Amino acid sequence: MKNFKIVISGLSGILVLIIVIPLARMVVSAEPGVLRSTISDPEVIQSILLTLRAALWATLSCILFGVPLAYALARWRFPGKSIVQGIVDLPVMIPHTAAGIALLMVYGREFFLGKAFGLLGISFMGTVPGISLAMAFVSLPFLVNAARDGFLSVDPRLERVARTLGASPWQAFFKVSLALCWRSILSGAIMMWARGIAEFGAVIVLAYHPMIAPVLIWERLENYGLKYASPVAVILILLCLLIFSGLRWLAREQKEV
Amino acid sequence: MLRLEGIDVRLGEFQLRDVSLHVKAGTYLTLLGSTGTGKTVLLETIAGVHKPTSGRIHIKGLDATRLAPEKRHLGIVYQDYVLFPHLTVLRNIAFGLHLKGTPERKIKGVVEEMADFLEIGHLLKRRPSRLSGGERQRVALARALVMEPYVLLLDEPLSALDRVTRSRIQNELKRIHTQLGVTIVHITHDLAEAFFLADQLAVMKDGRILQNGALEEVCRHPNSRSVAELVGIENLITATVEDNRLVTVMGDVDLARLSAGKDDLPERICLTLPGWSIELFPDGDPQDYVWQGSLSISDVYLMNGSGIVEVTLAHNGGKNLKTYLSRREAKAISANLRIGNTVPVGFLGKGVYWVPQELSL
Repeated sequence: MKNFKIVISGLSGILVLIIVIPLARMVVSAEPGVLRSTISDPEVIQSILLTLRAALWATLSCILFGVPLAYALARWRFPGKSIVQGIVDLPVMIPHTAAGIALLMVYGREFFLGKAFGLLGISFMGTVPGISLAMAFVSLPFLVNAARDGFLSVDPRLERVARTLGASPWQAFFKVSLALCWRSILSGAIMMWARGIAEFGAVIVLAYHPMIAPVLIWERLENYGLKYASPVAVILILLCLLIFSGLRWLAREQKEV
Repeated sequence: MLRLEGIDVRLGEFQLRDVSLHVKAGTYLTLLGSTGTGKTVLLETIAGVHKPTSGRIHIKGLDATRLAPEKRHLGIVYQDYVLFPHLTVLRNIAFGLHLKGTPERKIKGVVEEMADFLEIGHLLKRRPSRLSGGERQRVALARALVMEPYVLLLDEPLSALDRVTRSRIQNELKRIHTQLGVTIVHITHDLAEAFFLADQLAVMKDGRILQNGALEEVCRHPNSRSVAELVGIENLITATVEDNRLVTVMGDVDLARLSAGKDDLPERICLTLPGWSIELFPDGDPQDYVWQGSLSISDVYLMNGSGIVEVTLAHNGGKNLKTYLSRREAKAISANLRIGNTVPVGFLGKGVYWVPQELSL
């Protein structure tokens, strides 16, 4: 038993260190002076806020469409269900620059969808909606899969009982299934938001400007070197750590009374 | 109150076929069948969860075949209770009343009254995870009963309970039925449960209802070998009708003394003998017996706790029969009640019935 614990703890510890060491090294090596000036740099602040905002919009809009899709995948049997599940997972597998190109070909000015949105005054080229679209495309599997697993963990008979007690399908959905798996959905949304914030490849194809934080880090690395790129990354990492720790705390399982 | 007419349901590989059932108001119907026979599917079809591909469901005289579950006014209680885990007992019971828009004060009164009736008043503030199996079952019953359903549908409500709690809840169900007068459809695979609670019995196998009728009628006169086995008749002897004689592996059975249905016998039948119809050392009027002979005792088993002695009798033709004695009866013949002994045996004509062999699969 003791050996078992040592092996499990050792292997787990190694993985945690693989994540922590590069990030810690980056944080520690940031020069305080440069870090201070970076924090007060309006371009950096705007870029980080834009990143958080665009990823948040992507997440919120995907909740609207993704939760119903997750519910259908969890509850219904329909022809081609495994194909739909595969399609949902696809954005995780394809290179994100390829995803960006695919989006460009559909939402650019050459294709009817891009033109249709253009008529509504929505353009995806070099705009915040374009950034959100790219972020949503590559990160939605995190939300859909987490929400689907959440719905799967809720006994469908709970909804059936609710229906026999007078609940409409909507009431059974909101008062029972959603009420029981909102933590999974929130957890998926946090993961999606986080993945959206980190997105680079798909975003630069659609919108190099306005510059989101990952693009800004890339640009500073290219133009000024590591010394001026890493403080932006450090600020983004620390801010994300703060936000996501808070959200994870909210999504934690409450102890039953 | 509830009438099913030729219900067909298809769920993947599984199928309910031509299910017809009539349950009068105030009846306690038990639907008996082994596991995987489609009882839960049938119950959920009545509740509106599954849509029949053909047939009609009438509830209180109205065609409810296409009616949504929330409009059928039925209550369902599952084997593992299926309480809302995120709600307290109070909120669980009040769930349907809230949806109906019942005023809060009235809800409180109704819930407390039902909680008192089922003796769960002290649990109202608890979450389901903090309840025992029996308490959860009472909460599930209370949740369904406060809605005053036309029919209460119970899906093996006692199966997950320990013996003591099962017996307590069984009595509780009887009390609910008697005092509230609610119509109940209760599915089970437990024969004792069915005998204790039901006044109407329907026997189900492979998605079909094999027989439906008054409890005693179904048990006395099963219409097939499957029904006979499901209602606990362990002794079945195949027989052929030859020149007004019933020929079995154990010799001829007196056709004239058979209790019922001897006029239109098919050529091949299966005799059904409940344990009580097999007498050791038969000492009654010889006219009462359809068969008398000698069989050897192959096993004697004292059934735990019940004080009943199960005796297995073997015929040299390979047939094994079971009969049951009280401890007093067993004591009276204890000298002869030894494995290997050959004892005189008689089959009481009033207990012996038959089913056609064609349906004996």
